[in-house]
Amino acid sequence: MADTSTPNATSGNWALEARGLGKRYRRGWALRDCSFRIPAGRICGLVGPNGAGKSTLLGLATRQVQPTIGDLRVFGVPVDDPAVLPQVAFLGQDKPLFKRFTVAETLRMGAELNPGWDAAAAERIVRAGNVPADARVGTLSGGQRTRVAFALAFGKRPDLLLLDEPMSDLDPLARDEMSTLLMAEAVERGTTVVMSSHMLTELEDMCDYLLVVSEGRIRMAGDADALVPAHTLVTGVVRDGSLPPELAAHTIVESRLQGRQFQAMIRPRGPLPADWERAEPSLEEVLLAHLRSPDAPPLYTQGARVDAEGTQAA
Amino acid sequence: MSTTTLTEKPGKPGKSSELGSGRRLLRGLPWLVVRQHRVALACVLGLTVLTALWILYERHELVQLLDAKGWPEKDPGRPMENNRGYNYITSIINGLPLILAVFVGAPLIAGDQENGTAQLVTTQSVTRRQWLIAKLGLAYTLALVSGLVVSALFTWWWKPHRSLFASAWIDGVIFDNTGPVLPAFLLFLTAAGITIGALVRRMLPAMVGAFLFTSVTTLFVWDEVRVRLGSPQMFTYPMDSELPARFNDAYEVDRWVGSADGTLYNWGRCAEATEKATNACIKEHGIVNDVIQYIGYNQMAGMQWLAAGILLAGTVLLTAFTLWWTSRRPL
Repeated sequence: MADTSTPNATSGNWALEARGLGKRYRRGWALRDCSFRIPAGRICGLVGPNGAGKSTLLGLATRQVQPTIGDLRVFGVPVDDPAVLPQVAFLGQDKPLFKRFTVAETLRMGAELNPGWDAAAAERIVRAGNVPADARVGTLSGGQRTRVAFALAFGKRPDLLLLDEPMSDLDPLARDEMSTLLMAEAVERGTTVVMSSHMLTELEDMCDYLLVVSEGRIRMAGDADALVPAHTLVTGVVRDGSLPPELAAHTIVESRLQGRQFQAMIRPRGPLPADWERAEPSLEEVLLAHLRSPDAPPLYTQGARVDAEGTQAA
Repeated sequence: MSTTTLTEKPGKPGKSSELGSGRRLLRGLPWLVVRQHRVALACVLGLTVLTALWILYERHELVQLLDAKGWPEKDPGRPMENNRGYNYITSIINGLPLILAVFVGAPLIAGDQENGTAQLVTTQSVTRRQWLIAKLGLAYTLALVSGLVVSALFTWWWKPHRSLFASAWIDGVIFDNTGPVLPAFLLFLTAAGITIGALVRRMLPAMVGAFLFTSVTTLFVWDEVRVRLGSPQMFTYPMDSELPARFNDAYEVDRWVGSADGTLYNWGRCAEATEKATNACIKEHGIVNDVIQYIGYNQMAGMQWLAAGILLAGTVLLTAFTLWWTSRRPL
């Protein structure tokens, strides 16, 4: 299953590849020892609590932030090479646009600043939302403004689209409209999408790849389809007031005692005792367990991990 | 590329006139920065043109008046004293550095940082440096054009008629607003505003900072710097005689009294209560000369170029700092 996500040979098949990536601000490390890969053509969810380093990671990929240490490559090209610029589009959390520009002028900006500008695509996206071309951006509604920002991002014809909580300030209707638009455009062009989000259901619906960040470190990386089945939710009876010793044979993500019962999210490393109740967790349960237990050992599916020296760890 | 199809579709009246001919003249980043700052651009250029026309008119009036009165052979009276046009024009010119520093320089980068549009532009296919250079280029071009036009015309008005102007050449209103000084001053204060903006990253505090910096610089610091640009010279003449006329337009730095052997005493050394006491003091010290330390008008051009050089060096330093600072920090 994980094999579907591991293009072999050239590193150009990796949309994003980080080796030992770290960023330190005055307050401390915002991101540390990040090594991961995201294959091209996937919709990758970037998950983590507030302040986990998601925005720093996206900032590094869009050259807004310079790494303190380590190396980040976009389609095999170092991120500080200007050749990366036309390949990557970014949609920030508050979707900054020039408020006094009209919609047409905003799209003209896209055309003026991007060599591969696809005017037809950008106009189609704007027109589909009935956004008037001569309206000033400052007078548009939140949904309309997001649509214009999307048009600007897709008009660039990026190979990699980075989104920082793109739907967070939209009403449910606009959110649905935008996710449909995003999926349609991304699938049509084979664009790799990396989007950070708090909405776990949104991620479950849209993403087939996951990058879980917490406290500045990678907790999980890989295929959504492979990450979830790697976990089992077990329930059993407590014998002498503590967790059963058999549990230690497996990787424990999270465990808790409830009266005479224990419940644990584990990654089994062998056969489980027959008297334990087993259940397949949902994506949401796996994510929550990892976010609640930042000390749990990280999980990478095959191909998602690179070690700092650059060789692939299987 | 059919980049303008959206805006040039038929049935959208009024669209084509919005940017006029600028649509084809400018491309890429220059188009963006001009479009973004078009209000500031129009205001400063408008003010420049207004001032230029006003100077032309005032100069024309002055020349006519002087011709009618037969100047320079005959005394024309004091046409420049309490001259309203002159007062207004110099007020505008004195305000130019403030306008450029506060309304053009300070918000130039800080505004984009505050609104997030710095992020928007630098995630298009242009590097941060290209964008900064376009922004700085716009601001400096504006400062330079405005400064050159106004300074050239003001110099052309003042220089041939300088004996009629109430202000001396060393006064800020003349020295700073003629020759190469005004353009250099505008460039320097624009650069200072930009630097403050880049450091503060917020528009309003940056504008306040630029206002304070400009005020302190133009009102206090520069007055001290200006008189130190020349090399003062001494002239000794007998007491009780008039200072020769060629010193009429020299700037007097200091004044002493001196004895025959060259010893200098403070000007007020023998300022006694009675004439008798004064005369006794003069006799006692053997004072026979008045001595002045002065900067001649012939030094003005050199001093102006030196001033411009200092200001341009400051501009270069500030620009280099801004580029370095903004390229190493997150926008």
